Amino acid sequence: MFQLFNRVVPSIFFAFFCLVILPLNLSAAETGEYIAIRKEGSGNIALVLDKLDANGTKESRFAQSLDTIMYDGLDFTKLFALISPPLNVRDYSDKKNVVINFGALTSVGAEVYAGGSLTRKSGMINLDMKVYDASGSKLLLSKTYTGREEGLRSIGHAFCADLVELLTGKKSVFGSKIVFVSNKNGFKEVYECDFDGYGVQQLTNAKSIAMNPAISPDGRSLAYISFAPGRPTLYIRDLAGGTIASVGKSGVSIDPGWRNNSEVAATLSLDGNQAIYLVKTDGSLSKRVTNNKSIDISPAFSPDGTRMAFVSSRNGLPQIFIQDIQSGLVKRLTFSGRYNTQPSWSPLGDKIAYTTWEKNGEINIFVINTDGSGLLQLTQNNGENKSPSWSPDGEMIVYTSNRQGKEKMYVMSSKGGNERLLLQGDDLQTQPSWSLFR
Amino acid sequence: MKTMKPLLRTLFIPTMLFLGACACCEETVVAPPPPPPPPAIVLPGLGDVFYDFDRSELRADAVAQLRTNANWIQANGTSNVIIEGHCDERGTSEYNLALGERRANSAKDYVVNLGVSPARLKTVSFGEEKPFADGHNEEAWAQNRRAHFVVE
Repeated sequence: MFQLFNRVVPSIFFAFFCLVILPLNLSAAETGEYIAIRKEGSGNIALVLDKLDANGTKESRFAQSLDTIMYDGLDFTKLFALISPPLNVRDYSDKKNVVINFGALTSVGAEVYAGGSLTRKSGMINLDMKVYDASGSKLLLSKTYTGREEGLRSIGHAFCADLVELLTGKKSVFGSKIVFVSNKNGFKEVYECDFDGYGVQQLTNAKSIAMNPAISPDGRSLAYISFAPGRPTLYIRDLAGGTIASVGKSGVSIDPGWRNNSEVAATLSLDGNQAIYLVKTDGSLSKRVTNNKSIDISPAFSPDGTRMAFVSSRNGLPQIFIQDIQSGLVKRLTFSGRYNTQPSWSPLGDKIAYTTWEKNGEINIFVINTDGSGLLQLTQNNGENKSPSWSPDGEMIVYTSNRQGKEKMYVMSSKGGNERLLLQGDDLQTQPSWSLFR
Repeated sequence: MKTMKPLLRTLFIPTMLFLGACACCEETVVAPPPPPPPPAIVLPGLGDVFYDFDRSELRADAVAQLRTNANWIQANGTSNVIIEGHCDERGTSEYNLALGERRANSAKDYVVNLGVSPARLKTVSFGEEKPFADGHNEEAWAQNRRAHFVVE
Protein backbone atom coordinates (compact mmCIF):
# COMPACT_ATOMS: atom_id res chain seq x y z
CA MET A 1 0.00 0.00 0.00
CA PHE A 2 2.76 2.39 0.96
CA GLN A 3 4.84 1.38 -2.05
CA LEU A 4 1.92 2.11 -4.32
CA PHE A 5 1.44 5.38 -2.49
CA ASN A 6 5.12 6.21 -2.99
CA ARG A 7 4.91 5.54 -6.70
CA VAL A 8 1.61 7.28 -7.35
CA VAL A 9 2.19 10.44 -5.36
CA PRO A 10 5.43 11.50 -7.11
CA SER A 11 3.84 10.91 -10.51
CA ILE A 12 0.84 13.01 -9.50
CA PHE A 13 3.20 15.70 -8.30
CA PHE A 14 5.13 15.49 -11.57
CA ALA A 15 1.93 15.84 -13.59
CA PHE A 16 0.92 18.78 -11.40
CA PHE A 17 4.41 20.24 -11.80
CA CYS A 18 4.12 20.07 -15.61
CA LEU A 19 0.68 21.64 -15.52
CA VAL A 20 1.73 24.52 -13.34
CA ILE A 21 5.32 25.19 -14.33
CA LEU A 22 5.30 24.71 -18.11
CA PRO A 23 2.68 27.36 -18.93
CA LEU A 24 4.52 29.71 -16.59
CA ASN A 25 7.75 29.10 -18.49
CA LEU A 26 6.00 29.81 -21.76
CA SER A 27 4.65 33.11 -20.59
CA ALA A 28 7.98 33.95 -18.96
CA ALA A 29 9.65 33.46 -22.33
CA GLU A 30 7.14 35.78 -23.96
CA THR A 31 7.39 38.41 -21.26
CA GLY A 32 11.08 38.01 -20.52
CA GLU A 33 12.01 40.79 -22.89
CA TYR A 34 9.93 43.38 -21.09
CA ILE A 35 10.83 42.21 -17.59
CA ALA A 36 14.53 42.14 -18.53
CA ILE A 37 14.58 45.79 -19.50
CA ARG A 38 13.00 46.88 -16.20
CA LYS A 39 15.46 47.32 -13.37
CA GLU A 40 14.87 45.10 -10.35
CA GLY A 41 12.86 46.97 -7.71
CA SER A 42 12.49 50.06 -9.89
CA GLY A 43 9.10 50.83 -8.33
CA ASN A 44 5.65 50.98 -9.84
CA ILE A 45 5.20 50.49 -13.57
CA ALA A 46 4.22 53.80 -15.19
CA LEU A 47 1.16 52.83 -17.20
CA VAL A 48 -1.19 54.74 -19.47
CA LEU A 49 -4.50 52.88 -19.56
CA ASP A 50 -6.34 54.51 -22.43
CA LYS A 51 -10.13 54.88 -22.72
CA LEU A 52 -11.69 52.20 -24.91
CA ASP A 53 -12.90 53.05 -28.41
CA ALA A 54 -16.55 52.14 -29.04
CA ASN A 55 -19.24 52.93 -31.65
CA GLY A 56 -22.89 53.15 -30.53
CA THR A 57 -24.67 54.26 -27.37
CA LYS A 58 -24.81 50.87 -25.68
CA GLU A 59 -21.26 50.09 -26.69
CA SER A 60 -20.04 53.39 -25.25
CA ARG A 61 -21.81 52.65 -21.96
CA PHE A 62 -20.21 49.21 -21.71
CA ALA A 63 -16.86 50.70 -22.67
CA GLN A 64 -17.11 53.28 -19.87
CA SER A 65 -17.96 50.55 -17.35
CA LEU A 66 -15.02 48.47 -18.53
CA ASP A 67 -12.71 51.50 -18.33
CA THR A 68 -13.64 51.83 -14.65
CA ILE A 69 -13.39 48.10 -13.94
CA MET A 70 -9.92 47.86 -15.48
CA TYR A 71 -8.67 51.09 -13.88
CA ASP A 72 -9.94 50.09 -10.41
CA GLY A 73 -8.60 46.58 -10.81
CA LEU A 74 -5.10 47.70 -11.80
CA ASP A 75 -5.15 50.43 -9.13
CA PHE A 76 -6.05 47.84 -6.47
CA THR A 77 -2.83 45.90 -7.13
CA LYS A 78 -0.69 49.00 -6.39
CA LEU A 79 1.79 47.66 -8.96
CA PHE A 80 1.22 50.60 -11.29
CA ALA A 81 1.59 54.36 -11.40
CA LEU A 82 -1.50 55.09 -13.49
CA ILE A 83 -0.95 58.10 -15.74
CA SER A 84 -3.85 59.89 -17.48
CA PRO A 85 -3.66 59.36 -21.25
CA PRO A 86 -2.25 62.40 -23.09
CA LEU A 87 -4.87 64.03 -25.38
CA ASN A 88 -3.07 63.27 -28.62
CA VAL A 89 -2.08 59.70 -27.75
CA ARG A 90 -4.07 58.17 -30.59
CA ASP A 91 -3.80 59.42 -34.15
CA TYR A 92 -7.00 58.69 -36.10
CA SER A 93 -5.90 60.33 -39.38
CA ASP A 94 -5.51 56.93 -41.00
CA LYS A 95 -9.03 55.55 -40.57
CA LYS A 96 -8.07 51.93 -41.13
CA ASN A 97 -5.17 51.93 -38.75
CA VAL A 98 -5.06 53.89 -35.49
CA VAL A 99 -1.51 55.03 -34.78
CA ILE A 100 -0.15 55.37 -31.25
CA ASN A 101 1.81 58.56 -30.59
CA PHE A 102 4.72 57.13 -28.63
CA GLY A 103 6.41 60.53 -28.36
CA ALA A 104 3.41 61.80 -26.37
CA LEU A 105 3.61 58.74 -24.11
CA THR A 106 7.29 59.03 -23.29
CA SER A 107 6.91 62.77 -22.66
CA VAL A 108 4.46 62.01 -19.79
CA GLY A 109 6.83 59.36 -18.44
CA ALA A 110 4.82 56.31 -19.48
CA GLU A 111 6.63 52.97 -19.67
CA VAL A 112 3.68 50.96 -20.90
CA TYR A 113 0.58 51.83 -22.90
CA ALA A 114 -2.62 49.73 -22.86
CA GLY A 115 -5.63 50.57 -25.00
CA GLY A 116 -8.22 49.00 -27.19
CA SER A 117 -11.77 48.88 -28.41
CA LEU A 118 -15.11 47.33 -27.54
CA THR A 119 -17.56 45.79 -29.98
CA ARG A 120 -20.82 43.91 -29.42
CA LYS A 121 -22.27 40.98 -31.32
CA SER A 122 -25.50 39.10 -30.39
CA GLY A 123 -25.28 39.91 -26.68
CA MET A 124 -21.56 39.15 -26.43
CA ILE A 125 -18.89 41.70 -25.68
CA ASN A 126 -15.58 41.65 -27.53
CA LEU A 127 -12.74 43.53 -25.90
CA ASP A 128 -9.71 43.96 -28.18
CA MET A 129 -6.68 45.04 -26.18
CA LYS A 130 -3.19 46.00 -27.24
CA VAL A 131 -0.25 46.64 -24.92
CA TYR A 132 2.89 48.48 -26.05
CA ASP A 133 6.26 49.14 -24.51
CA ALA A 134 6.17 52.94 -24.76
CA SER A 135 9.90 53.55 -25.06
CA GLY A 136 10.60 50.81 -27.58
CA SER A 137 7.30 51.26 -29.48
CA LYS A 138 7.03 47.47 -29.32
CA LEU A 139 3.76 45.50 -29.24
CA LEU A 140 3.81 43.31 -26.10
CA LEU A 141 0.29 41.89 -26.18
CA SER A 142 -2.64 41.78 -28.57
CA LYS A 143 -5.60 39.76 -27.39
CA THR A 144 -9.40 39.63 -27.65
CA TYR A 145 -11.49 38.95 -24.56
CA THR A 146 -15.05 37.76 -25.06
CA GLY A 147 -17.88 37.40 -22.58
CA ARG A 148 -21.50 38.12 -21.79
CA GLU A 149 -22.70 41.65 -21.18
CA GLU A 150 -23.41 40.87 -17.52
CA GLY A 151 -19.88 39.51 -17.08
CA LEU A 152 -18.00 42.77 -17.71
CA ARG A 153 -15.94 42.35 -14.51
CA SER A 154 -14.60 38.96 -15.61
CA ILE A 155 -13.78 40.31 -19.09
CA GLY A 156 -11.94 43.35 -17.69
CA HIS A 157 -10.16 41.36 -15.01
CA ALA A 158 -9.04 38.70 -17.53
CA PHE A 159 -7.15 41.48 -19.32
CA CYS A 160 -5.81 42.87 -16.01
CA ALA A 161 -4.56 39.38 -15.07
CA ASP A 162 -2.75 39.01 -18.41
CA LEU A 163 -1.25 42.49 -18.12
CA VAL A 164 0.13 41.88 -14.62
CA GLU A 165 1.52 38.48 -15.61
CA LEU A 166 3.03 39.97 -18.77
CA LEU A 167 4.77 42.78 -16.91
CA THR A 168 5.77 41.02 -13.68
CA GLY A 169 6.09 37.39 -14.77
CA LYS A 170 3.88 36.38 -11.85
CA LYS A 171 0.28 35.30 -11.35
CA SER A 172 -1.99 38.10 -10.19
CA VAL A 173 -4.79 38.46 -7.62
CA PHE A 174 -7.50 38.73 -10.29
CA GLY A 175 -10.05 35.94 -9.95
CA SER A 176 -8.97 35.02 -6.41
CA LYS A 177 -11.43 34.95 -3.51
CA ILE A 178 -11.32 35.80 0.17
CA VAL A 179 -13.33 33.76 2.69
CA PHE A 180 -14.09 35.30 6.07
CA VAL A 181 -16.47 35.31 9.02
CA SER A 182 -19.16 37.97 9.40
CA ASN A 183 -21.98 38.46 11.89
CA LYS A 184 -24.12 40.23 9.26
CA ASN A 185 -27.19 38.03 9.90
CA GLY A 186 -26.76 38.09 13.70
CA PHE A 187 -24.68 34.91 13.78
CA LYS A 188 -21.08 34.26 12.83
CA GLU A 189 -21.29 32.70 9.35
CA VAL A 190 -18.73 32.05 6.60
CA TYR A 191 -18.83 34.42 3.60
CA GLU A 192 -16.72 34.89 0.51
CA CYS A 193 -15.94 37.89 -1.66
CA ASP A 194 -13.71 38.66 -4.62
CA PHE A 195 -10.10 39.78 -3.97
CA ASP A 196 -11.27 43.43 -3.97
CA GLY A 197 -14.24 42.98 -1.63
CA TYR A 198 -16.77 42.80 -4.46
CA GLY A 199 -19.59 40.24 -4.68
CA VAL A 200 -20.09 39.12 -1.06
CA GLN A 201 -21.79 35.74 -0.78
CA GLN A 202 -22.91 33.82 2.31
CA LEU A 203 -21.55 30.26 2.39
CA THR A 204 -22.93 28.87 5.67
CA ASN A 205 -26.29 29.32 7.35
CA ALA A 206 -26.00 27.34 10.58
CA LYS A 207 -27.13 30.20 12.88
CA SER A 208 -24.30 29.31 15.24
CA ILE A 209 -20.65 30.38 15.54
CA ALA A 210 -18.36 29.74 12.55
CA MET A 211 -14.59 30.27 12.71
CA ASN A 212 -11.42 30.13 10.60
CA PRO A 213 -12.64 29.32 7.06
CA ALA A 214 -9.96 28.22 4.59
CA ILE A 215 -10.28 27.24 0.91
CA SER A 216 -8.18 24.39 -0.53
CA PRO A 217 -5.48 25.40 -3.06
CA ASP A 218 -7.65 24.18 -5.98
CA GLY A 219 -10.66 26.11 -4.67
CA ARG A 220 -12.87 23.03 -4.48
CA SER A 221 -13.12 22.47 -0.72
CA LEU A 222 -13.87 24.73 2.22
CA ALA A 223 -12.66 23.82 5.71
CA TYR A 224 -14.07 25.70 8.70
CA ILE A 225 -14.99 25.35 12.36
CA SER A 226 -18.62 25.43 13.45
CA PHE A 227 -20.23 25.30 16.90
CA ALA A 228 -23.45 23.95 15.34
CA PRO A 229 -23.21 20.52 17.05
CA GLY A 230 -22.64 22.22 20.44
CA ARG A 231 -18.84 22.08 20.38
CA PRO A 232 -16.32 23.53 17.91
CA THR A 233 -16.16 20.97 15.12
CA LEU A 234 -14.13 20.82 11.89
CA TYR A 235 -16.21 20.67 8.71
CA ILE A 236 -14.92 20.05 5.19
CA ARG A 237 -17.33 21.03 2.45
CA ASP A 238 -17.13 20.15 -1.24
CA LEU A 239 -18.11 23.52 -2.69
CA ALA A 240 -19.35 22.12 -6.02
CA GLY A 241 -21.02 18.93 -4.81
CA GLY A 242 -22.24 20.31 -1.49
CA THR A 243 -21.29 17.25 0.58
CA ILE A 244 -20.06 18.04 4.10
CA ALA A 245 -17.76 15.90 6.22
CA SER A 246 -17.42 16.51 9.95
CA VAL A 247 -14.35 15.44 11.88
CA GLY A 248 -14.07 13.96 15.39
CA LYS A 249 -16.79 12.83 17.75
CA SER A 250 -15.39 14.46 20.89
CA GLY A 251 -13.21 17.34 22.00
CA VAL A 252 -12.65 20.58 20.14
CA SER A 253 -11.39 21.33 16.61
CA ILE A 254 -9.35 24.48 15.99
CA ASP A 255 -8.12 26.51 12.99
CA PRO A 256 -7.70 24.34 9.85
CA GLY A 257 -4.91 24.93 7.30
CA TRP A 258 -4.63 23.16 3.93
CA ARG A 259 -1.49 21.13 3.12
CA ASN A 260 -2.59 20.35 -0.44
CA ASN A 261 -5.88 19.69 -2.26
CA SER A 262 -6.55 16.43 -0.44
CA GLU A 263 -5.26 17.05 3.09
CA VAL A 264 -6.11 19.69 5.66
CA ALA A 265 -4.49 19.97 9.09
CA ALA A 266 -6.28 21.12 12.24
CA THR A 267 -6.02 20.84 16.00
CA LEU A 268 -8.20 18.07 17.42
CA SER A 269 -8.38 16.88 21.02
CA LEU A 270 -9.43 13.30 20.35
CA ASP A 271 -7.56 11.83 23.34
CA GLY A 272 -7.93 14.91 25.53
CA ASN A 273 -4.61 16.39 24.38
CA GLN A 274 -4.69 19.14 21.79
CA ALA A 275 -2.60 18.06 18.82
CA ILE A 276 -2.41 18.81 15.10
CA TYR A 277 -3.68 16.07 12.79
CA LEU A 278 -3.81 15.74 9.00
CA VAL A 279 -7.33 14.96 7.79
CA LYS A 280 -8.51 13.86 4.34
CA THR A 281 -11.33 15.71 2.59
CA ASP A 282 -13.76 12.87 3.45
CA GLY A 283 -13.15 13.61 7.13
CA SER A 284 -10.99 10.56 7.87
CA LEU A 285 -7.76 10.98 9.84
CA SER A 286 -4.57 10.55 7.86
CA LYS A 287 -1.75 11.32 10.34
CA ARG A 288 -1.02 12.82 13.75
CA VAL A 289 1.55 15.58 13.25
CA THR A 290 2.34 16.95 16.75
CA ASN A 291 2.60 15.10 20.04
CA ASN A 292 3.22 17.44 22.93
CA LYS A 293 1.37 18.16 26.17
CA SER A 294 1.16 21.86 25.30
CA ILE A 295 -1.29 23.74 23.07
CA ASP A 296 -0.44 23.15 19.37
CA ILE A 297 -2.62 25.12 16.93
CA SER A 298 -2.88 27.02 13.63
CA PRO A 299 -1.05 24.87 11.02
CA ALA A 300 0.19 26.80 7.95
CA PHE A 301 2.06 24.87 5.27
CA SER A 302 4.92 25.72 2.94
CA PRO A 303 3.71 25.72 -0.70
CA ASP A 304 5.32 22.29 -1.32
CA GLY A 305 3.63 20.85 1.79
CA THR A 306 6.86 19.56 3.32
CA ARG A 307 6.98 21.98 6.27
CA MET A 308 4.36 23.28 8.69
CA ALA A 309 4.44 26.48 10.71
CA PHE A 310 2.26 26.32 13.83
CA VAL A 311 1.70 27.91 17.23
CA SER A 312 2.76 26.10 20.37
CA SER A 313 2.82 26.93 24.07
CA ARG A 314 5.53 24.29 24.70
CA ASN A 315 7.91 27.01 25.95
CA GLY A 316 5.26 28.89 27.97
CA LEU A 317 3.47 31.66 26.12
CA PRO A 318 2.59 30.94 22.47
CA GLN A 319 5.39 31.12 19.87
CA ILE A 320 5.66 30.02 16.24
CA PHE A 321 7.54 26.87 15.33
CA ILE A 322 8.28 25.09 12.04
CA GLN A 323 8.05 21.31 11.81
CA ASP A 324 9.40 19.17 9.00
CA ILE A 325 6.53 16.79 8.22
CA GLN A 326 8.68 13.84 7.11
CA SER A 327 11.32 13.91 9.85
CA GLY A 328 9.21 15.50 12.58
CA LEU A 329 12.06 17.89 13.43
CA VAL A 330 10.82 21.10 15.07
CA LYS A 331 12.55 24.50 15.08
CA ARG A 332 11.38 27.60 16.91
CA LEU A 333 10.88 30.51 14.46
CA THR A 334 9.94 33.52 16.61
CA PHE A 335 12.01 34.89 19.50
CA SER A 336 10.91 38.52 19.46
CA GLY A 337 7.58 39.24 21.17
CA ARG A 338 6.00 37.36 24.06
CA TYR A 339 2.77 36.17 22.38
CA ASN A 340 3.07 35.22 18.70
CA THR A 341 0.20 33.48 16.91
CA GLN A 342 -1.65 33.16 13.54
CA PRO A 343 1.14 32.16 11.11
CA SER A 344 0.49 32.43 7.35
CA TRP A 345 3.07 31.00 4.91
CA SER A 346 3.70 33.13 1.80
CA PRO A 347 2.77 31.55 -1.56
CA LEU A 348 6.36 32.05 -2.76
CA GLY A 349 7.49 30.01 0.24
CA ASP A 350 10.11 32.34 1.66
CA LYS A 351 8.23 34.26 4.36
CA ILE A 352 5.77 33.82 7.20
CA ALA A 353 3.36 36.52 8.38
CA TYR A 354 2.08 36.35 11.96
CA THR A 355 0.70 38.50 14.79
CA THR A 356 2.35 39.68 17.99
CA TRP A 357 0.31 40.76 21.01
CA GLU A 358 2.46 43.56 22.34
CA LYS A 359 2.93 44.89 25.86
CA ASN A 360 1.11 48.13 24.98
CA GLY A 361 -2.02 46.11 24.20
CA GLU A 362 -1.73 46.42 20.41
CA ILE A 363 -1.75 43.35 18.21
CA ASN A 364 0.50 43.85 15.18
CA ILE A 365 1.38 41.98 12.02
CA PHE A 366 4.98 41.00 11.31
CA VAL A 367 6.69 39.19 8.45
CA ILE A 368 9.77 37.02 8.97
CA ASN A 369 11.89 34.86 6.65
CA THR A 370 11.42 31.14 7.24
CA ASP A 371 15.03 30.95 8.52
CA GLY A 372 14.20 33.51 11.23
CA SER A 373 15.97 36.47 9.59
CA GLY A 374 14.55 39.70 8.17
CA LEU A 375 11.90 40.48 10.78
CA LEU A 376 9.65 43.30 9.49
CA GLN A 377 6.78 45.01 11.33
CA LEU A 378 3.88 45.84 8.99
CA THR A 379 1.30 47.50 11.27
CA GLN A 380 1.64 49.86 14.23
CA ASN A 381 -0.27 52.46 16.26
CA ASN A 382 -3.58 51.09 14.95
CA GLY A 383 -5.14 48.92 17.65
CA GLU A 384 -5.54 45.19 17.11
CA ASN A 385 -4.49 43.83 13.71
CA LYS A 386 -5.11 40.12 13.29
CA SER A 387 -5.38 37.08 11.03
CA PRO A 388 -2.92 37.95 8.22
CA SER A 389 -3.32 35.95 5.00
CA TRP A 390 -1.22 36.34 1.81
CA SER A 391 -2.63 37.11 -1.61
CA PRO A 392 -1.89 34.38 -4.18
CA ASP A 393 0.78 36.54 -5.85
CA GLY A 394 2.48 37.31 -2.51
CA GLU A 395 2.15 41.07 -3.10
CA MET A 396 -0.60 41.76 -0.53
CA ILE A 397 -1.88 40.67 2.85
CA VAL A 398 -5.50 40.68 3.98
CA TYR A 399 -6.06 41.06 7.74
CA THR A 400 -8.53 42.53 10.21
CA SER A 401 -8.19 45.69 12.25
CA ASN A 402 -10.31 47.45 14.87
CA ARG A 403 -8.63 50.82 14.09
CA GLN A 404 -11.99 52.41 13.28
CA GLY A 405 -13.97 50.68 16.03
CA LYS A 406 -15.40 47.37 14.88
CA GLU A 407 -13.11 44.65 13.56
CA LYS A 408 -13.05 44.90 9.71
CA MET A 409 -11.07 43.47 6.82
CA TYR A 410 -8.16 45.49 5.42
CA VAL A 411 -5.51 44.86 2.78
CA MET A 412 -1.94 46.14 2.62
CA SER A 413 1.27 45.56 0.70
CA SER A 414 3.16 42.52 2.00
CA LYS A 415 6.16 44.85 2.34
CA GLY A 416 4.07 47.25 4.48
CA GLY A 417 2.09 50.34 3.49
CA ASN A 418 -1.00 50.96 1.37
CA GLU A 419 -3.28 49.86 4.24
CA ARG A 420 -6.94 50.22 3.26
CA LEU A 421 -10.39 49.01 4.22
CA LEU A 422 -11.56 46.17 1.99
CA LEU A 423 -15.27 45.98 2.74
CA GLN A 424 -17.72 48.59 4.00
CA GLY A 425 -20.60 47.67 6.33
CA ASP A 426 -21.76 47.60 9.94
CA ASP A 427 -20.87 43.95 10.44
CA LEU A 428 -17.97 42.44 12.36
CA GLN A 429 -15.53 40.83 9.91
CA THR A 430 -13.00 38.32 11.22
CA GLN A 431 -10.50 35.65 10.15
CA PRO A 432 -10.07 36.32 6.41
CA SER A 433 -8.26 33.75 4.30
CA TRP A 434 -7.13 34.49 0.72
CA SER A 435 -7.51 31.65 -1.78
CA LEU A 436 -4.66 30.54 -4.05
CA PHE A 437 -6.81 29.66 -7.07
CA ARG A 438 -7.95 31.87 -9.90
CA MET B 1 44.69 57.59 37.71
CA LYS B 2 43.96 57.44 34.01
CA THR B 3 45.00 53.80 33.85
CA MET B 4 42.86 52.93 36.85
CA LYS B 5 39.63 54.07 35.34
CA PRO B 6 39.04 51.16 32.89
CA LEU B 7 40.05 48.71 35.60
CA LEU B 8 37.59 50.19 38.05
CA ARG B 9 34.92 50.04 35.40
CA THR B 10 35.57 46.40 34.60
CA LEU B 11 35.30 45.55 38.28
CA PHE B 12 32.28 47.73 38.80
CA ILE B 13 30.07 46.15 36.10
CA PRO B 14 30.27 42.49 37.23
CA THR B 15 29.84 43.60 40.83
CA MET B 16 26.67 45.47 40.04
CA LEU B 17 25.37 42.60 37.92
CA PHE B 18 26.04 40.23 40.81
CA LEU B 19 24.32 42.49 43.31
CA GLY B 20 21.45 43.00 40.88
CA ALA B 21 21.01 39.28 40.42
CA CYS B 22 20.99 38.75 44.18
CA ALA B 23 18.47 41.49 44.70
CA CYS B 24 16.31 39.90 42.04
CA CYS B 25 16.35 36.44 43.62
CA GLU B 26 15.77 37.88 47.07
CA GLU B 27 12.75 39.80 45.85
CA THR B 28 11.02 36.72 44.45
CA VAL B 29 11.75 34.72 47.62
CA VAL B 30 10.76 37.36 50.14
CA ALA B 31 7.72 38.79 48.36
CA PRO B 32 5.74 36.16 46.45
CA PRO B 33 2.72 37.52 44.60
CA PRO B 34 -0.29 37.66 46.93
CA PRO B 35 -2.83 34.91 46.34
CA PRO B 36 -6.03 36.08 44.66
CA PRO B 37 -8.81 36.83 47.11
CA PRO B 38 -11.25 33.97 47.66
CA PRO B 39 -14.76 34.50 46.26
CA ALA B 40 -17.25 35.92 48.73
CA ILE B 41 -19.66 33.00 48.41
CA VAL B 42 -19.48 29.42 47.30
CA LEU B 43 -22.73 28.93 45.40
CA PRO B 44 -24.90 26.03 46.55
CA GLY B 45 -25.42 23.52 43.77
CA LEU B 46 -23.39 24.15 40.63
CA GLY B 47 -21.14 27.22 40.56
CA ASP B 48 -18.41 28.47 38.25
CA VAL B 49 -14.69 28.69 38.90
CA PHE B 50 -12.28 31.36 37.70
CA TYR B 51 -8.77 31.44 36.26
CA ASP B 52 -5.73 33.67 36.10
CA PHE B 53 -4.65 35.29 32.84
CA ASP B 54 -3.37 32.74 30.27
CA ARG B 55 -3.59 29.94 32.88
CA SER B 56 -5.65 26.79 32.93
CA GLU B 57 -4.43 25.53 36.32
CA LEU B 58 -7.00 25.72 39.13
CA ARG B 59 -6.61 28.56 41.62
CA ALA B 60 -6.78 27.89 45.36
CA ASP B 61 -10.15 29.67 45.50
CA ALA B 62 -11.67 27.17 43.03
CA VAL B 63 -11.38 24.18 45.33
CA ALA B 64 -14.36 24.85 47.63
CA GLN B 65 -16.68 25.47 44.68
CA LEU B 66 -15.54 22.35 42.85
CA ARG B 67 -16.18 20.26 46.01
CA THR B 68 -19.68 21.71 46.21
CA ASN B 69 -20.21 20.95 42.51
CA ALA B 70 -18.99 17.37 42.95
CA ASN B 71 -21.38 16.85 45.87
CA TRP B 72 -24.27 18.26 43.85
CA ILE B 73 -23.52 16.01 40.86
CA GLN B 74 -23.29 12.96 43.16
CA ALA B 75 -26.58 13.88 44.84
CA ASN B 76 -28.36 14.44 41.50
CA GLY B 77 -27.60 11.11 39.88
CA THR B 78 -29.80 11.59 36.83
CA SER B 79 -28.31 14.88 35.64
CA ASN B 80 -25.26 14.99 33.39
CA VAL B 81 -23.18 18.14 33.42
CA ILE B 82 -21.40 20.15 30.73
CA ILE B 83 -18.33 22.13 31.76
CA GLU B 84 -17.73 25.08 29.42
CA GLY B 85 -14.28 26.70 29.26
CA HIS B 86 -14.26 30.46 28.61
CA CYS B 87 -11.57 33.11 28.05
CA ASP B 88 -11.34 36.87 28.11
CA GLU B 89 -11.29 38.78 24.81
CA ARG B 90 -7.58 39.50 24.80
CA GLY B 91 -5.10 37.65 22.61
CA THR B 92 -6.20 35.73 19.52
CA SER B 93 -9.34 33.64 19.21
CA GLU B 94 -7.77 30.35 18.05
CA TYR B 95 -5.41 30.28 21.04
CA ASN B 96 -8.26 31.17 23.37
CA LEU B 97 -10.32 28.27 22.00
CA ALA B 98 -7.48 25.94 22.99
CA LEU B 99 -7.02 27.62 26.38
CA GLY B 100 -10.77 27.36 27.11
CA GLU B 101 -10.70 23.60 26.61
CA ARG B 102 -7.80 23.31 29.03
CA ARG B 103 -9.74 25.25 31.65
CA ALA B 104 -12.78 23.00 31.23
CA ASN B 105 -10.52 19.94 31.48
CA SER B 106 -8.76 21.10 34.65
CA ALA B 107 -12.14 21.61 36.36
CA LYS B 108 -13.39 18.24 35.10
CA ASP B 109 -10.26 16.38 36.26
CA TYR B 110 -10.66 17.79 39.78
CA VAL B 111 -14.31 16.76 40.01
CA VAL B 112 -13.49 13.30 38.66
CA ASN B 113 -10.77 12.95 41.29
CA LEU B 114 -13.44 13.64 43.91
CA GLY B 115 -15.30 10.55 42.71
CA VAL B 116 -17.69 11.79 40.01
CA SER B 117 -17.96 9.41 37.05
CA PRO B 118 -16.32 10.96 33.95
CA ALA B 119 -19.20 9.52 31.90
CA ARG B 120 -21.49 12.13 33.49
CA LEU B 121 -19.29 15.07 32.49
CA LYS B 122 -18.78 16.67 29.09
CA THR B 123 -16.41 19.52 28.32
CA VAL B 124 -16.55 22.16 25.62
CA SER B 125 -14.63 25.34 24.89
CA PHE B 126 -16.15 28.60 23.76
CA GLY B 127 -12.84 30.45 23.83
CA GLU B 128 -13.58 34.19 23.74
CA GLU B 129 -16.84 33.72 21.78
CA LYS B 130 -19.37 33.95 24.64
CA PRO B 131 -18.21 36.43 27.28
CA PHE B 132 -20.24 36.81 30.50
CA ALA B 133 -19.24 40.43 31.12
CA ASP B 134 -19.12 42.99 28.30
CA GLY B 135 -16.48 45.41 29.63
CA HIS B 136 -12.97 45.86 28.30
CA ASN B 137 -11.18 45.98 31.67
CA GLU B 138 -9.67 43.58 34.19
CA GLU B 139 -12.94 43.40 36.14
CA ALA B 140 -14.78 42.06 33.09
CA TRP B 141 -11.85 39.91 31.92
CA ALA B 142 -11.60 38.21 35.36
CA GLN B 143 -15.32 37.32 35.07
CA ASN B 144 -14.81 35.86 31.60
CA ARG B 145 -11.90 33.52 32.45
CA ARG B 146 -14.03 30.73 33.83
CA ALA B 147 -15.24 27.15 33.77
CA HIS B 148 -19.02 27.34 33.61
CA PHE B 149 -21.02 24.37 34.95
CA VAL B 150 -24.39 23.69 33.30
CA VAL B 151 -26.82 20.77 33.56
CA GLU B 152 -27.09 18.99 30.20
